[in-house]
Amino acid sequence: MRVTQNITTNTLISYINQQAGNLLKTQQQIASQKRINKSSDDPIGMGQVLGYRNKIAVTDQYQENIERGMTRIEFNELTLDFASDLVDTARELAAEYSGSTQSAATRQSVALQVKDIYDQVMQMANSKFDGNYIFAGHATNTEPFTHLSDFTATYDGDEGDFQIMVSDGVEVNLVADGRKIFQNEVNGGVNIFDELKNLIDGLEHPDPVAGSAQIEATVKVLQDGRDQINDSRSEYALSLYRLQAADEYLTNLRPKVEEAMATLEQADLTKAVVELQNLELAYETTIATAARIIQPSLLDFLR
Amino acid sequence: MDIFGVLNMGSKALTVQQKGIYVTGNNIANVNTPGYSRQRLNLSSDVPLNTGIGPVGTGVTANEIERVYDRFLGVQINNETQSLGQWEAYKDSVERVEMVFDESGGYGLNQVMSEFWNSWQDLTNNPSGSIERTVLVAKSEMLTATLSQNYKDLQQIQRDIDSNIKGAVGEINRLSENLVDLNQKIIQSELSGHMANEYRDQRDLVLKELSELIDISSFEDANGGTTVSVGSGQVLVEGTHTYSLSTQPDASGHRDITWIDSSGNSVIISDDISKGKLKGWLDARDVDINDSLNKLDTLAQDLMAAVNPLHANGYGLDNINGRDFFTIEATTATTATGIQVNSLITGDTNRIAAAEGADKPGDNRNAIAIAKLQDMPTMNGSTVTFGAYYDSMVSDAGLAVQQATSYYDHQSQMVLQVENYRESISGVSIDEETVNLIKYQNAYQAAAKLIKTADEMMETILSMI
Repeated sequence: MRVTQNITTNTLISYINQQAGNLLKTQQQIASQKRINKSSDDPIGMGQVLGYRNKIAVTDQYQENIERGMTRIEFNELTLDFASDLVDTARELAAEYSGSTQSAATRQSVALQVKDIYDQVMQMANSKFDGNYIFAGHATNTEPFTHLSDFTATYDGDEGDFQIMVSDGVEVNLVADGRKIFQNEVNGGVNIFDELKNLIDGLEHPDPVAGSAQIEATVKVLQDGRDQINDSRSEYALSLYRLQAADEYLTNLRPKVEEAMATLEQADLTKAVVELQNLELAYETTIATAARIIQPSLLDFLR
Repeated sequence: MDIFGVLNMGSKALTVQQKGIYVTGNNIANVNTPGYSRQRLNLSSDVPLNTGIGPVGTGVTANEIERVYDRFLGVQINNETQSLGQWEAYKDSVERVEMVFDESGGYGLNQVMSEFWNSWQDLTNNPSGSIERTVLVAKSEMLTATLSQNYKDLQQIQRDIDSNIKGAVGEINRLSENLVDLNQKIIQSELSGHMANEYRDQRDLVLKELSELIDISSFEDANGGTTVSVGSGQVLVEGTHTYSLSTQPDASGHRDITWIDSSGNSVIISDDISKGKLKGWLDARDVDINDSLNKLDTLAQDLMAAVNPLHANGYGLDNINGRDFFTIEATTATTATGIQVNSLITGDTNRIAAAEGADKPGDNRNAIAIAKLQDMPTMNGSTVTFGAYYDSMVSDAGLAVQQATSYYDHQSQMVLQVENYRESISGVSIDEETVNLIKYQNAYQAAAKLIKTADEMMETILSMI
């Protein structure tokens, strides 16, 4: 084959371009620390990376949901803890002052005390979190319990529960229906407000004997009422446990997804650097050769 | 066989060797001229004289200046150049499509969709919260804006391709005129029986430039002119006559390529173009980009079709149901460009339906139902999620670039190979020409010596008188 100067230079230019291109690509990988800088670097890999990115984003979101749910449960728990103590205090008062020998004045002062307790329990039942009533079902903008003048209470909320999204297709249920906690006579439970009213009525009863019987009757029911509140608390504890379990799952899952993504997306730095060195060598050799080949012609040797 | 014969022979040799130097000089001067084929002076011994001792040579004569050339290589170069042009144009176009779906900046559709679904989840945490509602509207607007921006970016690439096509058609017409001009010159100068070497080189170069743009078939007539045809045999150049190409809008407003016949009628040849840049652009515009546009539109349609009925089921904080979340701007033809958040909702975020029932501000069940669409197989006949559908679009765009790049690289090598082949036959070698130069120079000197000898001989004779 005849080799002309143009063949030599064209071929050299083509190789130098090729090697400079490879060099640039490796330099990009090292600079960005990523193997996939655009979809065409690895189309299938890019699709997977995007899937992983979504997975991480939604995992973060689930964990935020869980965190907000936990705060809410802790708030419920504090509220009900206090409410349960209040009901217990009322029960103790009932047990202590159930005897017919108590003076009218004493009973009257105890009645006032129980009225205070009644108001406090109602305040707890009407608690707000984040500006929303927590024991009003879905009617979070409506004060759920109203104190009527005769110490009966109405419920204006509904039976709705609150749901927290914790992972794909899984929701954790939080009881938000205040009646299940405070006015559960529908399900054979205790209406705590009615029972406190019974206690007040008993204490204020003109006939000490009849009143005493009425007071005594409330002791057992208030005990049940306290248990009812504590049952709800254990239900919240169960929800909390489910949130914690989901959180733990997500906390374990996230680094695994990140790792899978990194394996796919990130450049193996050692490999890339070694490759860069090889490419540099090849590139330098090529241009060094070029410098030697394209210079001389027969003219250099004629004198 | 007299002294004058020697003198004559010397003088012929001088001129011929001088021609040799001239041809060599021309080769050296054109060493870097694109498309130049090296030339060679063909010499033969002159007609001999019959004498008593048999025929005696009368020196040298120059026959012609020959162009060293392989015509089959020319055809091969044109074919490979057509493929190179096709892949180059296709690669450039799909690379721009890939840029539209670039997710490295973090504000691609993937990211925006993910934030859209997350803001629905945020709403489930506080279904009556006005901040959550405002954020949801903002993220939803970002989603619709990104959908429509991506769609418009793709359309812009199509429009740019259209103007490339228009430009290329103009270029083809210009090259055709060039060809006609060269044909004319070649036919004229070859009437004398000698090859028009330079014009032929130039014509080959024009044919190569034409090949980069469109697939052509060409042949040479007996008188030296070429006939070039494109598409399904439409004649572009016939000796000294040219037809022209043009463009006209097709049904979707893009440019169709047409051939204008002698009476001015247009024939659409878009579908008959099988190589060259025009083919690469047509493929990218009508296949790849159209496909991406349709998929984006389907994504927007399916998103609307999934979110709207659920949203209409639910109730806003104003206790009214039946509202769509997304609406389409009436003036646009496609969902992807027209999709927007219902203006009722952007006007009052309380109208976002997070609740399943009326008068339930704390009810997040409807928001949950909508948020759950994220990981539901809703597309392609309920087989893939919205996210996976889009991710596969990104993969497809990358795959097209990857394939185009590998074809392009391969084709560049092919062209380099055949160009080198051509160069090895027709290219000028400085070394070779230097040798020739010395060769002709020596011969020239020797011829001069011959004349001097004849002169001396003559003098010897004259001095005898």
